[in-house]
Amino acid sequence: MTRTTGRALCASLAALAFAALPAAAGEELNLFAWSEYVPQSVLDGFTKETGIEVNYETYSSNEEMLAKLVSGAASYDVIQPSEYTIEALVKEKQLLPLDHAKLPNLKNIGKEYWNQPHDPQLAYSVPYMQGTVGIVVNTSRIREPVQSYRDVFQSKYRGRIVVLDDAREIVSWGLATLGLGPDQVTKESLEKVRPVLAAWLPLVKVYDSDSPKTALLNGDVDLGVVWSGEAALLIQEEPGKFSYTLPKEGAHMFIDNLAIPKGAKNVAAAHRFLDYVLRPDVSVKISKEFPYTNPNVEARKLLPKDALANPASYPPGDPKLATFRDIGRLAADVDKLFTDLKARSGS
Amino acid sequence: MQLARRLLATWTGFVFLFFYLPIAVLVLYSFNASRLNIVWTGFTFEWYARLLEDRVLVRTLENSLIVASVTTLLSVVLGTAGAWLLHRYRYRGGALLDTLIFLPMIVPEVILGVSLLILFVTIGLQLGYTTIVISHVTFCFPFAMAAVQARLAGLDPALEEAALDLGATPPQAFAKVLVPYLMPAILSGALMSFTLSLDELIVTYFTASAGTRTLPLEIFGRVKKGLDPSLNAISTVFVLFTALAVFAIEALRRRNP
Amino acid sequence: MRQEATHFADAPASAQHRPSRAAWLLLAPLVVWALAFVVAPAAIMLVYSFMQRGTLGGVVSAFTLENYAGVVDPVYLRILIRSVAYAALTTVLCLGLGYPVAFFIGRADPRRRNLWLMAVMVPFWTSFLIRTYAWVTILKSEGLLNSLLLQLRLVSEPLELLYTPGAVVLGLVYTFLPFVILPIYTSVEKLDGSLIEAALDLGAGPLRAFARVILPLTAPGIAAGVLLCFVPALGIYAVNDILGGGRVDMIGNIIENQFKGNARNWPFGAALGTALLVAFALLYAFVSSFSRSSAARLR
Repeated sequence: MTRTTGRALCASLAALAFAALPAAAGEELNLFAWSEYVPQSVLDGFTKETGIEVNYETYSSNEEMLAKLVSGAASYDVIQPSEYTIEALVKEKQLLPLDHAKLPNLKNIGKEYWNQPHDPQLAYSVPYMQGTVGIVVNTSRIREPVQSYRDVFQSKYRGRIVVLDDAREIVSWGLATLGLGPDQVTKESLEKVRPVLAAWLPLVKVYDSDSPKTALLNGDVDLGVVWSGEAALLIQEEPGKFSYTLPKEGAHMFIDNLAIPKGAKNVAAAHRFLDYVLRPDVSVKISKEFPYTNPNVEARKLLPKDALANPASYPPGDPKLATFRDIGRLAADVDKLFTDLKARSGS
Repeated sequence: MQLARRLLATWTGFVFLFFYLPIAVLVLYSFNASRLNIVWTGFTFEWYARLLEDRVLVRTLENSLIVASVTTLLSVVLGTAGAWLLHRYRYRGGALLDTLIFLPMIVPEVILGVSLLILFVTIGLQLGYTTIVISHVTFCFPFAMAAVQARLAGLDPALEEAALDLGATPPQAFAKVLVPYLMPAILSGALMSFTLSLDELIVTYFTASAGTRTLPLEIFGRVKKGLDPSLNAISTVFVLFTALAVFAIEALRRRNP
Repeated sequence: MRQEATHFADAPASAQHRPSRAAWLLLAPLVVWALAFVVAPAAIMLVYSFMQRGTLGGVVSAFTLENYAGVVDPVYLRILIRSVAYAALTTVLCLGLGYPVAFFIGRADPRRRNLWLMAVMVPFWTSFLIRTYAWVTILKSEGLLNSLLLQLRLVSEPLELLYTPGAVVLGLVYTFLPFVILPIYTSVEKLDGSLIEAALDLGAGPLRAFARVILPLTAPGIAAGVLLCFVPALGIYAVNDILGGGRVDMIGNIIENQFKGNARNWPFGAALGTALLVAFALLYAFVSSFSRSSAARLR
């Protein structure tokens, strides 16, 4: 072996040795979550405590997340799917099972979040924030009570209604008025719900899933069926002007979760992050920025009174709630029905 | 003729009013006291102050500017070259190439984004500045090419022949005669590319990585929480800055013609 | 050098030259680019359009024609026709509004022309979303325009301007007007003023001078403007979503839905996209061959 070859060999061995060392100082966590759903203060706090840098990549819909996840473009350590997406991911074996031993703070999660159909044992996911889809009313313009989908979609409110631009949501509301659950989606039930929606949609002025509060604050609409977070922001912005009620026929309860995808490189760091977020002092920071329903009961104890009093964040009473299940291929039929009816009713 | 000129000026004035009306509103609302920024509640400088602390927003603006500048440069080069070569020479398959180049304009952004993503993953190209620039150039340079093509149509070939007769080499003829002639079209193409790249959203989503977020991605991401006035503020700052830069350049040019 | 000059002198003034090896080499980057970043992704989409949808989005390798059956479904055809109508209307309005502006700038003081161009483009360097929400602020029932109209007592009740097809057209025209003005400007700028003067001296009225002299000479700019407006307008999804209140779905929204909405039907989206692509490619090839042959005839 010549001297140069010997040197080269030593250099490569050294390089390999360095590469094999656990990169404690330069450790990174790839977080793939909804835009503006994880406060920077939470990420900074995590980095300060653990030394792990967080790369926060974002998306604005579950399907966007799936598109990048499924394509294998990058490996993510933590993702933030909604409940029906968790179900699909688990079915396709795309999630790593969680090691509960590494998640001591999991006990802070309220009992009602266990035994949910999408992940009964919380084996694959940890609830992050929960919300509902309900009726918001500008009470300075509408005095009478609006407590059900049927109350909303009356011809006297024609052109004054805002709803989410979401096929699955709207179809589930129609199904609820027929006494069917949101996952009782079949070709027959879609046919049954068609005339119901065909009567509703011409009354709608605005479809908006991104920022339905805009139309309500503008005064262009007087009532609507929107995300609870949007309603909570409205109530914070103009207290006393807006009310939030969960429809009598049944409402959608969505749960956004944290989970670890199959290709995760840094599983240990991912668990540390999950446990960190489950701490009440961290969780309350999230609540302060995003007034959804916090599934962490210990964190709720730390919230200020007016946050807990916000009916959109913490709806009173015992409403009829249901999560969404994965409906597989029928999602396309749901979308087609909605597209068709929207096109016919609009302009 | 004077009347015609006056009429045109008035018309142009109205169109510019149309262009700048939402910009005026945008600037005004950058001083809006309300965080949700939907109704006006009061006057404040708070959001401009916040800009100084919002490292994320400023960094995304930097990223957007870098990407847009590189995209514009490449688009202008490719677009001008393409327009000129296809005009000058009868290539076999030239018409096909011409059509192919304009395809990305018709392909819906989401399809372009997904298919480029899959392409990059397949060839193992990591997402980042390179992939963003490639995707931006792909749909920007047809605009530059169209602008130059319009200028080339009806170009008197005698121009170039004269230059060559006088002893210029073809590259010299290109640089000294054609490029100056094409300058308005090149500038138009550059302006269009820059504008398109700066505001590009969907394709960028699919081809960017965590470290290379652009401003539109950041702004769209904040819709859910509410487009607070700091977003208006950064737009205002940017527009003011470019307007000042443009005037400065023009003033300098006038001083040294 | 002398020989090349002679060669050019012999060739008819309008003919294109046969490409030399150098010319092919110069074209190579473009060919590579087109193959890599246009043909390859388009091929991927074409393949996808014949496959079945995966559970999490994506596709599974199973051949099917069901996606193309879906493309011709009346539900989607109706939306496609609507998109074409809006794109066409937008293009016509942009041409009408933009041509005079392009003419004005093109004939303006040469030292100021670039400034004018910048002035046209600068508004569009602000974020599209913020700009569009500014229009919402202007057009809403408690917005600036209605407040003005009410103040001037031109109306007694606020007009419903926002969340209408009219608002969508306004937004579309606003988005594409600069992309029509700029190409037309490049044609106007090279107009020989003496040609126009000659026409007027010979007794043609301004309208006739415009129609017979200016318009044909600026036709390439107009054609480019039409291309750069109509084609991208077909794929629009955001402007109509915000200003139309989500009620004016276009083909761009439908396709977006397949990938980013809960439809999770990539192959169908790919089929719709491929159909649009093929339609465009045919149209473009037809129009450009037509213009090439008519240009040759003119000479």
